[in-house]
Amino acid sequence: MAIVEFKNFSWNYSGYRSKVLRNINLSINKGEFFGIIGGVGSGRTTFCSAIMGLVPHLYPGNIDGELIVDGLNTEKSSMSDLSTRVGLIMQSPDTQLTGAGMNVEEELSFGLENLGTPRKEMIKRVKKMIKLIGLESFKYRNPFELSGGQQQKVAIASVLIMQPEILVLDEPTAQLDPLGTTLVFNLIKKLARKGITIILNTQKIDYLAEFADRVAILNDNEIRKVGKTREVLTDINLLKKNRIISSDFTQLSNELINRKLYKGALCMTLNDAKEMISKVKRG
Amino acid sequence: MPRALLISYIDKDSFFHKLNPVTKLVITISVIILIFITKSFIHNLIIFIFIIPFAYYSKLTKQVFMPIKYLFIIFVILFVIQGLFYPFRETVLIQLPYGFAIWTEGLIYASMISSRLLVMLVYGYLFVLTTHPGDLVSALRKLRLPYIFGYIVLATLQIIPRVQSQMATIIEAQKSRGLETKGSIVKRLRAYTPLLGPLFMGSVQNAIERATALEARAFSAKCEKTSYRETIIMKKDKVIMVLTIICLIIFGVTSWLL
Repeated sequence: MAIVEFKNFSWNYSGYRSKVLRNINLSINKGEFFGIIGGVGSGRTTFCSAIMGLVPHLYPGNIDGELIVDGLNTEKSSMSDLSTRVGLIMQSPDTQLTGAGMNVEEELSFGLENLGTPRKEMIKRVKKMIKLIGLESFKYRNPFELSGGQQQKVAIASVLIMQPEILVLDEPTAQLDPLGTTLVFNLIKKLARKGITIILNTQKIDYLAEFADRVAILNDNEIRKVGKTREVLTDINLLKKNRIISSDFTQLSNELINRKLYKGALCMTLNDAKEMISKVKRG
Repeated sequence: MPRALLISYIDKDSFFHKLNPVTKLVITISVIILIFITKSFIHNLIIFIFIIPFAYYSKLTKQVFMPIKYLFIIFVILFVIQGLFYPFRETVLIQLPYGFAIWTEGLIYASMISSRLLVMLVYGYLFVLTTHPGDLVSALRKLRLPYIFGYIVLATLQIIPRVQSQMATIIEAQKSRGLETKGSIVKRLRAYTPLLGPLFMGSVQNAIERATALEARAFSAKCEKTSYRETIIMKKDKVIMVLTIICLIIFGVTSWLL
């Protein structure tokens, strides 16, 4: 069942001549882990903000076609209605925090306060969420004093606590160090297992290869390809055409195949590569 | 690293800390009303001295007086300008060369203004030091004051250090490109002017991003709001509020009549 449906969707920020999103036709299913890759400036961030309704509600511009999210037309319904259905996480950990809480607990409860959740329920959910993100020992710390990775986890948790159907992550790890990245991706993996629909825009193909069900290539403001993760990420020519660097494992396997050292499919994940190497070793 | 805050809540276990924020707000506002009723700066100084027991009972005797040093230069300017150029001058206190003079009325006016500033600063600061911003927001929400106002109070306290650290980053970045920030005042002013552009633009950019983050947390949802922190107006709060208003009336009338 489709939960996010782009129907011939186009978007044009007012003041700009060319469209940032052009004729997007795409449907994302409920419970799916959907990845988005593409070049810089190809409209991926706008794609993510459209699902949340920031486009057209917060930024001025022109819309063509329509976008249905969980049964709501984003153009016609309000941001607050959409915010209970969609959670959006963006790049910078610092500006994801609202500043409404003096400590992690209060930051997490902010969304619930706005929705008028009873206090008892709020306390219960905050406790559960802190446990899920593994920040028990930091719950009385000011979120601004945490590390980037921890801040991003707090940001994800404070959106998740509102129990959205869909979680949209717009390069959540772009400003994080490798450890922070791993922390955030482990959390995302945990969430994917719980059956939340996840839409992840990232440059980190290795992580996407492990988790995503389907991947779309968004380049030069258009959808170039939608397909199963393996089908898209192992298509080296397609990736090259869209200026995306394929995974190290894929490149390695491609090289070995070209040198006739290995006969088999292209690799995508670390596990694939391990298998390949043991095969190559056996001869 | 974010620098230390000028304005911040200090957690202490004291009678004053435990009062409802609304009670403390009533006390603070009463004091501010009172200093605008008084006609003599000596009365204001007496009110100023009354901060000492308050500060003592909130276990913050030293901290309360810290921000006075920031006002010192304003006091000096006030006394100099008003002492020399007060428009309703009559009595010469000291005759200066070139036709200038220090006027008694000017000095009295300056001491009135500075004593008011002093009282407002100290009492206001004690309020901020003893009130958890979250409690303040929660209390304001219960009074059905617009919650946006509450958020502004809270977020401002939190975001000031962000802007400070952003400023520090920009200064360091400019210094590493050869910006000279030492020397005479003119030189320093000239050095800091180019920093304002990036600081302002950066702040606007951050504000837009923070606005999206707020929208993602249903900030504009139109429904009854609740609070994570609980604030109850207890019996002692009611008693103190009534006492404060009685005191305000008594002191106000006496000071007006004296």
